[in-house]
Amino acid sequence: MKSHLWGGSAAIAVLLLLSAGSAAAAPSCGLNNGRAATGEPIKVGAIVGRTGPDDFSSASRAAKAYFDCVNANGGIHGRPIEYLVEDDQWNPEVAAQVATKLVKDEDVVALVGNASFVEMGVNAKLYEEEGVMAMASGCAVAECFESKNIVSTNEGPLPSSVGAAQWAVANLGSTNVVCIGLTIPSVGPYSCGWVEKYMQSKNLAGTSVLLDPSAADMNSAFLEAVASGADTVLVNLPAGMAAAFLKAALESGQRDSYKWISSTPLYDRDVPAMLGTDWSGVMYVNIELTPIDGKGPDASNWRAVLDAFGTADDPRDTFSQAGYLSARFFVAAILQQDPAKLDRATVTEAIRNIKNYTSDLLCGPYYVGPGDRHMPNHANMMVQMIEGGYKIVGECMDVDSAYLDPYRANEKALGIVN
Amino acid sequence: MLGTYGMFLVSGLAVGALYALGGVGLVILNRATGVLNFAYGAIGAVGAMTAWQVLEWHLPEPLAWAAAMGVSLALSLGFGLLVAPQLAHREPVIKAVATLGFALCLLGLMNLIWMVTSRKLGLFSDSLGFSIIGVRINGTRLIALAGGVTATIAMGIYLSRTCTGLLMRALADNREVAAILGVPVRRVEAIAWGISGVLAGFTGLLFGGLVRLDPAVLTFLVIPVIATTIIGRLKSIPVTFVAGLLIGVTESMLTLVKPLAPFRVAAPFVIATLALMWLQRGRRLTFAGED
Amino acid sequence: MMASDPPVVSTPALALWRSRSIGLLLLVAALALLPPLLLASLWLKVLTGVAIYTLTAAAIALLYRRLGLVSLAHVALMGAGGWVGLRLAYGLGTPFEVNMLAGGIAAAGLGMVFAYPALRMRGLYLALVTLMIAGAFAIIVNVLQFPNGGGGWSGFAVKSAGYMPRPAIASNDVGYYAYCVVVTALGMALIHWHEIGKAGRAWALIRRSEAAAMSSGVDVPFYKVWAFALSGFLAGIAGVLLAGNLQMLDARSFPAAESVMIFALTIVGGAWNPVGALIAAALYRLVPALLNDFGVNGDAAYIIFGAALIHALATAPRGIAGQLEDLASRLFGRSNGGNTR
Repeated sequence: MKSHLWGGSAAIAVLLLLSAGSAAAAPSCGLNNGRAATGEPIKVGAIVGRTGPDDFSSASRAAKAYFDCVNANGGIHGRPIEYLVEDDQWNPEVAAQVATKLVKDEDVVALVGNASFVEMGVNAKLYEEEGVMAMASGCAVAECFESKNIVSTNEGPLPSSVGAAQWAVANLGSTNVVCIGLTIPSVGPYSCGWVEKYMQSKNLAGTSVLLDPSAADMNSAFLEAVASGADTVLVNLPAGMAAAFLKAALESGQRDSYKWISSTPLYDRDVPAMLGTDWSGVMYVNIELTPIDGKGPDASNWRAVLDAFGTADDPRDTFSQAGYLSARFFVAAILQQDPAKLDRATVTEAIRNIKNYTSDLLCGPYYVGPGDRHMPNHANMMVQMIEGGYKIVGECMDVDSAYLDPYRANEKALGIVN
Repeated sequence: MLGTYGMFLVSGLAVGALYALGGVGLVILNRATGVLNFAYGAIGAVGAMTAWQVLEWHLPEPLAWAAAMGVSLALSLGFGLLVAPQLAHREPVIKAVATLGFALCLLGLMNLIWMVTSRKLGLFSDSLGFSIIGVRINGTRLIALAGGVTATIAMGIYLSRTCTGLLMRALADNREVAAILGVPVRRVEAIAWGISGVLAGFTGLLFGGLVRLDPAVLTFLVIPVIATTIIGRLKSIPVTFVAGLLIGVTESMLTLVKPLAPFRVAAPFVIATLALMWLQRGRRLTFAGED
Repeated sequence: MMASDPPVVSTPALALWRSRSIGLLLLVAALALLPPLLLASLWLKVLTGVAIYTLTAAAIALLYRRLGLVSLAHVALMGAGGWVGLRLAYGLGTPFEVNMLAGGIAAAGLGMVFAYPALRMRGLYLALVTLMIAGAFAIIVNVLQFPNGGGGWSGFAVKSAGYMPRPAIASNDVGYYAYCVVVTALGMALIHWHEIGKAGRAWALIRRSEAAAMSSGVDVPFYKVWAFALSGFLAGIAGVLLAGNLQMLDARSFPAAESVMIFALTIVGGAWNPVGALIAAALYRLVPALLNDFGVNGDAAYIIFGAALIHALATAPRGIAGQLEDLASRLFGRSNGGNTR
């Protein structure tokens, strides 16, 4: 009897500890003083591709949760952030319209948490002309990383696919990689092309198989990959298409003849269940940020912010991490400014001065600088798909590609240490 | 080398079977009602998404198949009975573009109900199958091929041997005259919308399993499928079926022609255009009137 | 209708005011100059899109109204014109107007290629052939992309985005909006000029009966091809205007379904009235922007849009412009009724 009682109180103690633990996991944002900001709002915009072939809104949802949290905790020295999110509907014309609205009509001081396939290429010029910075979180096209006023927290398909190939060469003994990508030049040929160049630079072989985004016939694509004579298949496709491609590969009964690697799109909470157990232990995925179940302070705070200020359906994925991080870095940068003098010019200046910001969500430091192109995040990790989840198999590794030379030159000039 | 060609041939037949099945469904409806249904893909997509939902609820798979066809039947019939009659007096092109409106409605609805994310539809037949010359053909593709052949033959018999079939042919030849002769136009059309709806659901389910379970992709897959119906002149079911297979094989074989490989998805459109030019050769200028 | 108005006896100034062409000029000037004074930058951008697609819709309406021909490839034609315009801008650095004409001529050439099947078929069948061309274009341009200043014949390179220069006289958004309105007005004037001339009479005869047209000495193939060329020319011009609006083009603007959409909206707007093209373009670009701005979910907007499309096609055979015309003639019926019949 006594021991039972003891058991009971132990359970209560554990519960108390747990609740204390969850209290400790309360989100920490901005000034973190618990006072709601009531001053003159600071307008911040975001453009995301929400309606269309895929929903890219998770970055802006995370940024919104973080800004709400900042506003509930003192804001920017008392001034709240008014966050305006627009949907570009995956349409270049709409992307130009909503950018005009945010930048010219609403006069936002900066854009934070942009995630789109079309927006960056269309609007890079507008941002430069109007002197506004875009701290993007979901870039997928080349233009995004080659513009003066856009800096993204994610790293896009190039470092992710080159990183996967690099890891496979070192750890799986791959000598011939075939990269399966989209025909859209600034996506597929951009990333798969640099995978080929990486392989050649190591005196190994690399080829590409390119698919139209609406392609129905995955079998032929797989046969084309087989015909390339590769020993490793690098799947560099959106998750839905990748699933169809892998299904064709599985059907062919040739899964075990190849080593399988993928860029980031296959890193998502729902993907292991979608692909099924056939790919557990077989597929290795490159991840652009650190794992979504990480234990570091930013990883925990990101989940806490979403739990407290987001909704249950806000995805907890890589883009969401990137959106949170863009928002956090933005707030950190403008908190150092005089709140009375926050306008577009000072905010742009503050963002450009960001240097050596660190987070456990990133492998390397985050910086912006005055350069005409930005890719602060170019080191990544590898995970292995296991039943119902992922296991880390490769720690942070910087991507080895000549594409990064101009970025590294910028880093050297700025004194960024990787 | 022959082996490689053979592999792509078989692979092409497998995707061609899908084009063929889709094309047959479109032609059946067009023959009986004069409507080229741009919403065919969207109706099938709703069916496929419903099946996915049923499987997601861990209900038995036969129920998923039934649900897919049932929902598509209801949508097709609903449009055919409620909306199509209002457009009966318009020319065929207007009827066709009106179905695009229906497709947009269904696409928006699907994206509202099922948040856009990557999904996969697993069917029992995926794990069945056999190998020919180094290419494994799974059961779902066999079902597509068998479905296409069955639909072609069954519709052939239906149109030539049954009373409703006869009425449908009469309707296809000349609606005005058929109506005057006492063909119950509405009823015959409803049957055609129903048959086409069931076929759309069946096709959508197979497409969802074999291509991708993505509402937008499935909705707009109707455009390459229309290519097959052009070769069949929107009338001939067997020609449409063969055209579908042919297009699939060509698309697949183009993989071997390196500079053209990235363009191969355009194969249905190019083949349809060329076939048409060839079919129309020697035909004189037509005078205004019916097509 | 207005052309048959009874002669007005009045002062010269009033006669000038009543004169149709002066009135139209003033209307175009008002359309080009007023909105920038009244509207925010977003709406100016949207209206620039409306002006551009008005020209496309007018080009589609011309084929449909005059020859009963359906083109489901006009967005693809715009893309082809835009491609040529961009290629020239980057390759030769020619002025915008030259690029625009070249884009128009290239698309006119493509239009004439379409006209070849049109000589032998019509209706749904022809429409589907044009749809095939739109489908092929979408895929090809997805691979080639639009020129952005890269090398080679395709003029595309994976690099930081390039931007096509706008006309020297209209480099900012306000100027460019006015420029588009003027070019669209000129394009519609070109259509009108054809319709009241020899071509218009030939088309009218062909539409009534090709046999009759032929027997009365009309060169039927020539005038059919000419209509396609004119329609393609205007779509090509619109394509270059679109390229100038974004100062670039992206393949994602040109899926085959968009061509079907703009045709459907042209019918909804009303192919028998120049205002119909404006309505079609407003439905295509302004209404979605309004819905987006009101915060209507993009997917819900699809449902509303699709349903409205079906409804309009079912209930308004002559389009919204036709209904407005009926309304106007009912309201002002007495002044005009005698002349219309």
